[in-house]
Amino acid sequence: MSGKVSRQILLYGIVCLAILLVPVFVEDAFLLNKYARYLIFGMLAIALSLSWGYAGILNLGQATTFGIGSYCMAMFLKLKTVPIHTGSDGLPDFMVWNNVTELPWIWMPFHSMPFALLAGILVPALFAALLGWFMFGGRIAGVYAAIITLAAMVVVNLIIIDQQSYTGGFNGITDLAQFEMAGFTFDAYSASTYYLVAICLTVTLFLALAVSRSKTGLILQAVRDQEERVRFFGYDVALYKTFVFAFSAAIAGLAGMLYTIVMEFASPTFLGVPLSLSIVIWVAVGGRQSLVGAMLGAVLVTGVQGALSESEAFLETWTLVMGGLFVLIVLFMPKGMAGAFEALARRFPKAAPEGGARHATEQAPKSQPHLGGAL
Amino acid sequence: MDFVVSQILTGLSLSSILLLVALGLAIIYGVTGVINLAHGEFVMLGAYCAWLLQSQFGWSLLASLAVIFLLVAALGWLIEIAVIRHLYDRPLDTILATWGLGVMTQQIVRLTAGGELRYVQMPPALSGSVDILGATDSAYRLFVLAVALGLFMLTWGIYRYTSFGLKLRAITQNRAIASSFGINSARAYRLTFAYGAGIAGLAGALISPLKSVSPEMGTTYVVDAFMVVVLGGVQSLVGTLASSAVLGETSGLIAYYSNDTIAKALVLVAIVIIIRFRPQGLFAPRVRA
Repeated sequence: MSGKVSRQILLYGIVCLAILLVPVFVEDAFLLNKYARYLIFGMLAIALSLSWGYAGILNLGQATTFGIGSYCMAMFLKLKTVPIHTGSDGLPDFMVWNNVTELPWIWMPFHSMPFALLAGILVPALFAALLGWFMFGGRIAGVYAAIITLAAMVVVNLIIIDQQSYTGGFNGITDLAQFEMAGFTFDAYSASTYYLVAICLTVTLFLALAVSRSKTGLILQAVRDQEERVRFFGYDVALYKTFVFAFSAAIAGLAGMLYTIVMEFASPTFLGVPLSLSIVIWVAVGGRQSLVGAMLGAVLVTGVQGALSESEAFLETWTLVMGGLFVLIVLFMPKGMAGAFEALARRFPKAAPEGGARHATEQAPKSQPHLGGAL
Repeated sequence: MDFVVSQILTGLSLSSILLLVALGLAIIYGVTGVINLAHGEFVMLGAYCAWLLQSQFGWSLLASLAVIFLLVAALGWLIEIAVIRHLYDRPLDTILATWGLGVMTQQIVRLTAGGELRYVQMPPALSGSVDILGATDSAYRLFVLAVALGLFMLTWGIYRYTSFGLKLRAITQNRAIASSFGINSARAYRLTFAYGAGIAGLAGALISPLKSVSPEMGTTYVVDAFMVVVLGGVQSLVGTLASSAVLGETSGLIAYYSNDTIAKALVLVAIVIIIRFRPQGLFAPRVRA
């Protein structure tokens, strides 16, 4: 066991080190900005892998919490901008256009950086905790839970677009100040922002690994495989599921905040159906039951997409190819690339022990509790 | 009085669209347990078929309805054979696979028919308006309501009174035992999926003159339709009817006092809360374990 764990930590460490070393070789600020974006998507994939791969909660609205985090950061940075079109007391420009005369109360606390940073993580977590309490307390699981997360996202998206005078509506919140912390200015097109994202990703990855390796993580995997049995053992299944749901939302919130820094705006498309679908695809491609696999899946898929996006025609076809690839992976490779690597590794008996993971929904009473391979 | 009647009619029009879109989803989900997230794309395809037949071949909407039903049903049939039938034991994965299929369908339509909005002409015979108790309503909306109710009755009749319906009900209760009594459940599933898809195509064609047709139009419908099915109770066709009536009227009423967006958001929140306390739906007598 311990050998396997240390091998896993080593693997995760190598991946993170490689990510942190990228700016040594790449000096193009534009490329670094692009890579930082891919890494943020990687964080989103980690978040979904935790709730979907480890706890069996398919969150079709992962982008909701991502968007909330992004808006928290955007509200903070907006209030830091040098007023150009503003009214009294540095009122954000779009509020002036919407005839709002004073800063709404909900914006007030975002003058403070600690508040904004906490809000970007805690508001998504609380939102998810509330939704989770609603769903899991009512023993709603599987497809119902999936659809409720989707509906919740539609609601939040509609409200943000509708409340134009407070949120900027369709246009989102644009024209933001640069993020400054501890004497550093994080220009979106610079190595410093890349490092900020890479460090957040590393911390997230190891935190998620710790959770998945903890007793809580084991119970969650048991819930995924046989929810009723875990309940009969006396565990409060709803509590565990709500926890992982909120934890995953907090990661998504952090990713959202970083995304605002990197993109220099926040928009309702950040919590749209297309992004949520993409997150699910990345995780499915990378391997839902492997944190690092899901993360690399996101980086790989968005990277290829980014490379193809030079040409409009390619991008259009790419969506088609992605859809087809996704269907094939769901049909034939439910564990994604990570599962394929594990199967390869199993051919060499030293690399991975026998009796590996089974598919999540398969009932496999004979197999050992799934602890994941080296990935 | 006028106001009350016209408000009820507005609500009924919303209800009839909801019923049309939800009916196919309800049949597929009720019988096979598959949540078809490509359902919205079937609706969209139906609308595009209507547009294509009208703009390229000059068919009137009414004449093309049967063709559209058959075309989309055939597509549903093929999709069942190619993808869905492999996934009946993995319900969460059917969501993913159908979502992927939906993306592909949307993209194919965008690549072939273009991403711009399309418009379908109303049948001339139905473009007038009708007086009901002092309020006026468009004849076409009443026609859609009639078709929705007719389709519902037809489906309910098949389910209740034909031998095929009897087999379906047996499969719904216990697929393994039904199969051991010689019912070809694979074929029944396939037919159900095709029928549900065909109805969705029909829904899209009927909606097309009321809304603009675009590749993205399906996404909103699938969420709405699913909410109708969940609220009505998964096993209950009558529940689907009742919940589309309730949801349509409620949305119409809230929309009158605030706006469409708030109406939609409030209705979705209400449904989520209802599911929390009544996961079996409002109108379902019992629920499959």
